Amino acid sequence: MPSWIERSWTRGILTTRYPRTPASEAETPATARAPVPPQGAPIPPSAVASCPVEAISPRGVDQGRCIRCARCLTQGLRLDGAAESAVSARSELLLPAGGGTTRPTAPLASLGRSLHLFLVDVGSCNACNLEVVALANPFYDSQRLGLFFTNSPRHADVLLVVGVPTEPMVEPLRRAYEAMPGPKAVVAIGACPISGGAFRGNPGLRGSIDELLPVDVYVPGCPPTPIQILDAILRLRGAGRREG
Amino acid sequence: MSGPAWTVTPAERYELSAEHALAYVPPDGAFALYNDYAQRRSVLVPTPSPVRPEDVVATWRDQLVGPPPRRLAPQETVEGYGTFTFPYGPVSMGVPESGRFDVITYGERILELGPLGGYKSRHVLNALAGATIEDAALRIERLAGNVSASHVAAFLAAAESARGESVPRSELWVRALAQELQRVYNHVHVLARIAEAASQNVGSAQSHALAEEILRLQGRAFGHRWLFGALLPGGPARHLDPPDRKALDRELQRCAREFDALWELFLDSRTFIDRIQSTCPVDRASAVHWGGVGPTLRACGVRWDDRLRVPGPPYNDLFLALPEERDGDALARLLVRVQEVRASFLLIEQMLDRWPPGPGSPEPASSPVLPGRGLGRVEAPSGDLVYDVSVANGKLASVSARTPSQANWPLFALGMRNAVFTDFHFALESFGLLFAETDR
Ligand code: SF4
Ligand code: SF4
Repeated sequence: MPSWIERSWTRGILTTRYPRTPASEAETPATARAPVPPQGAPIPPSAVASCPVEAISPRGVDQGRCIRCARCLTQGLRLDGAAESAVSARSELLLPAGGGTTRPTAPLASLGRSLHLFLVDVGSCNACNLEVVALANPFYDSQRLGLFFTNSPRHADVLLVVGVPTEPMVEPLRRAYEAMPGPKAVVAIGACPISGGAFRGNPGLRGSIDELLPVDVYVPGCPPTPIQILDAILRLRGAGRREG
Repeated sequence: MSGPAWTVTPAERYELSAEHALAYVPPDGAFALYNDYAQRRSVLVPTPSPVRPEDVVATWRDQLVGPPPRRLAPQETVEGYGTFTFPYGPVSMGVPESGRFDVITYGERILELGPLGGYKSRHVLNALAGATIEDAALRIERLAGNVSASHVAAFLAAAESARGESVPRSELWVRALAQELQRVYNHVHVLARIAEAASQNVGSAQSHALAEEILRLQGRAFGHRWLFGALLPGGPARHLDPPDRKALDRELQRCAREFDALWELFLDSRTFIDRIQSTCPVDRASAVHWGGVGPTLRACGVRWDDRLRVPGPPYNDLFLALPEERDGDALARLLVRVQEVRASFLLIEQMLDRWPPGPGSPEPASSPVLPGRGLGRVEAPSGDLVYDVSVANGKLASVSARTPSQANWPLFALGMRNAVFTDFHFALESFGLLFAETDR
């Protein structure tokens, strides 16, 4: 009779080698990348008009608003850029017209090695939650990097926020943040907490998580891939500690 | 925080029956009876004035749209020595979603459980008035991301019916393929979550791995792991050419074999089966009475599925084995899901095999229920999903929906009466309920 052990053996090792090696093609679907403005040319007005969430302006593309609908791709933009996209300041999410990015690569180094993560959903569509939870599956195996999910903010070092902040979640979110012992960090995951995403301007919503908490890392995307979320969390550790 | 002061007596509860409380009442008072399985077609009976089970129902409905916390199931007041209400949520309850459960208990046993929603209300549907169909679809797929394909397919069907538009046959195939893939993902995810709750660590890890593989396949075929934008013109590029279909078919057949092997091991694990057997039972009469849908309904002996009830392309050309169980407990619901995973793998295999060569003849949309107003319904992973869309001057006038979670929350609350607290996670996961779908 086959057993669990035998099955695990026959399945072999599924776990990604990230961050030792770059993210693979299978880990990076087309929409993991951001639309980038054409090199050395202004952004065509038709591209500005095509965006359903006003992420594109003549100044550039705001990744924090982009929901990766791919509509602007027929108007001269292309999905490109690095697969890892986390930044530490909201303004760095703007990809300026004419090309080039302002994305920093240095680690933020505010926390130590092993991190406990606490997920708060303040009004998400579940895709972001499930991408975060996916970090624990054998393909990403966040535990190998010393990252652990906890069910209580009291044990947490990092607050992962997903979803667009709804009015009734403002208070629970604040309380969860206050319950966390210091030093602590906040990671905003997806277009929703960064800018309201697809729901920006709907009644009963806060415009962005910035109004509520100090954010340490922003991960654009709708939703970001598990690799991008992993990258964002690893950026909270000092240099040389990315690989656990 | 105290809950809303709203309770019903058993007599009133009867009034809050399937047709009245749960059948969704469209905004202008026309009354749609969605729970009529005898009918082969969608029934919409416009009546001049709303049917009047009135005040109770009015209260219910206010609760459904009012500010949080709002009740997702009717609740009785239970009084007695030592009973108290324990609010569970909205964060840190081991469920990755925000919502609340008011548990009335005197200790271990749950006397009454009231799910409360509204914490995630993003007012998605209300904000759609005046939007174009394409822009609205982008919001609707982000209403509940893990069932996005079903929501978009139902919404597009309703909008097409309202506008009397025909659709290329190949688009219907693409929508069906996306929905079946997502059904596999969601059912496997439910299996993984239940295994996790039962501390079946290897089983849960392997089920999560299988779910991840499905997501990656979706990402490869449709350019997006959650299929956002993939069913719309102008979305990310689809990769469904013959070599891609062949590769997809090969991968899925491997996944199907993986799944079978995995399930066999679960069946061998007596502790796992014991844990979910007779947990949170829903009897057939209540399921019918309250208007349950999907695997919840099929697990108590009612074989009802939109894919067979209103078969359009491609389902009318494909072979679909519809499972049925009779016990109505968490095990029965899981068994239904497992068989549905197999049925979906089989459907996908047939689709990839007989993929239409070109766009095909345009398929006329179903006739509008009223001028400028259409219904679309699909079988989402957790059950019957209905969209009701009105269109004026090419823009949306109003959009409303009856989601499977909305229909099934009361059955979950009912099944949890007299359960012990440790049953909670098994029960909740087995229904596949989403706060995101009711907090819209
Ligand atoms: S991909 Fe992003 S930037 Fe481009 S149109 Fe869509 S939301 Fe706007
Ligand atoms: S950012 Fe996109 S995927 Fe994430 S919760 Fe918002 S709508 Fe859903």
